[in-house]
Amino acid sequence: MKWISNLFSGYARSVHFVAICALALVLILGGPKVTENAGGVAIAAFHYPFAKLKNSIEGLVGIAEQNAQCERTLIEMTQSLNRLEEMEREIERLRSVLNFDPPPGYDLLQARVLSVSGAVGPVSAVISRGSDDGVEVGMSVINQQGLVGRIVLVFLNVATVELLTDPAHRVAARVAESREMGIVKYRSREGMTLDNFPIQGAIEIGNQVVSSGLGGIYPPGLVIGTVRSVERPPEDPFCRVHLDAAANFNTLEELFILKERRL
Amino acid sequence: MTIIPYLLYLWLIALHVVVLRDATAVFGVTLNLPALIVLAVAIYKKDTAAAWFGFFAGLVMAAGGPPGQLGWQALMMSLLALAACRVRERLNLDSLKAKVLMIIGGVLIHNLVSLILSRADAFLIHVIDYVVAGAVYTTVLAWLFLLVKERTITVEKIKAIF
Repeated sequence: MKWISNLFSGYARSVHFVAICALALVLILGGPKVTENAGGVAIAAFHYPFAKLKNSIEGLVGIAEQNAQCERTLIEMTQSLNRLEEMEREIERLRSVLNFDPPPGYDLLQARVLSVSGAVGPVSAVISRGSDDGVEVGMSVINQQGLVGRIVLVFLNVATVELLTDPAHRVAARVAESREMGIVKYRSREGMTLDNFPIQGAIEIGNQVVSSGLGGIYPPGLVIGTVRSVERPPEDPFCRVHLDAAANFNTLEELFILKERRL
Repeated sequence: MTIIPYLLYLWLIALHVVVLRDATAVFGVTLNLPALIVLAVAIYKKDTAAAWFGFFAGLVMAAGGPPGQLGWQALMMSLLALAACRVRERLNLDSLKAKVLMIIGGVLIHNLVSLILSRADAFLIHVIDYVVAGAVYTTVLAWLFLLVKERTITVEKIKAIF
């Protein structure tokens, strides 16, 4: 046996080379089954872990992309939903406007509120109608809830409305039920009040206060507010009447200018 | 012969074939990491070890490809390793440039034979974009590897720069 060992040690390089060539020839000439088996072993031992890793990474990347897409869709859907909700509110508002009739002898000119200003609360508003639309100083401005204010400045396409919440504003008013009169003011601390109302006057909580038309500014019968509280101090000749304003001055959007119908 | 480093090299080849080849491609030019590893083994190891490693490297490299190429790739890689060993022995390669030249030659030959085996259309175009460009790309990597291996670039030297 030693001669075999000597033979192989002397020609070790050749033996290795021949063995490699023989194996390669088996793979080349062995047909599909041999290559499938050899390739299968190589794939199972070496490729499989990395292929699995690659698939996992690709899966994670795919999930991340899906996640990003879902987030984009969610943002778009949220924006659409917000738009739709805003449209729904607008439709509700416009529906209530459709059922709104102007006082007799007046036409309604619709206007949008462009801006509202005031240090503490809103005291004036700029609207989208001006002298081009026939708007004049002194015209009354209302919304579907009630009296809002009057026009104090007019430009070509816009006008400024002095709101009832302006402390300098006064409205000649009367209690709708008893027809007794007073003056509506707005004070930043107390809110809307009905002043100069006689202490003997008939007024109750929940009574409606409307414009009397006697001031020459506002037409009669425009709703200003409802009585919230009545105090009758014994030392005072007038009641202290607090009102809840009919119009919500914090949510003004669509307003109506009362244009006197000219014959 | 310790087998573990060779197994790690084979896994590195599989990683390259499965994941890194596409990820490291630049304008469609791919690295030939299997040939580079076989040539590196041929430069630093014995010829028999290099020949057997080349054989298995060819198997691992071609395992995911067309079945007809399995034996050819194994034989070619083995011959490449053996030839590189012979050149190293005969020319006594010591300089970095000589090793880089041998690697670029080896990768060029391997790319060219692989292209012939694949029987691809537009042969001349692929000679440019696969054989030559791939060999240059691989040689750049080989040059960096040899700079680190021959300790021309070390961590201390890089730290000293900054």
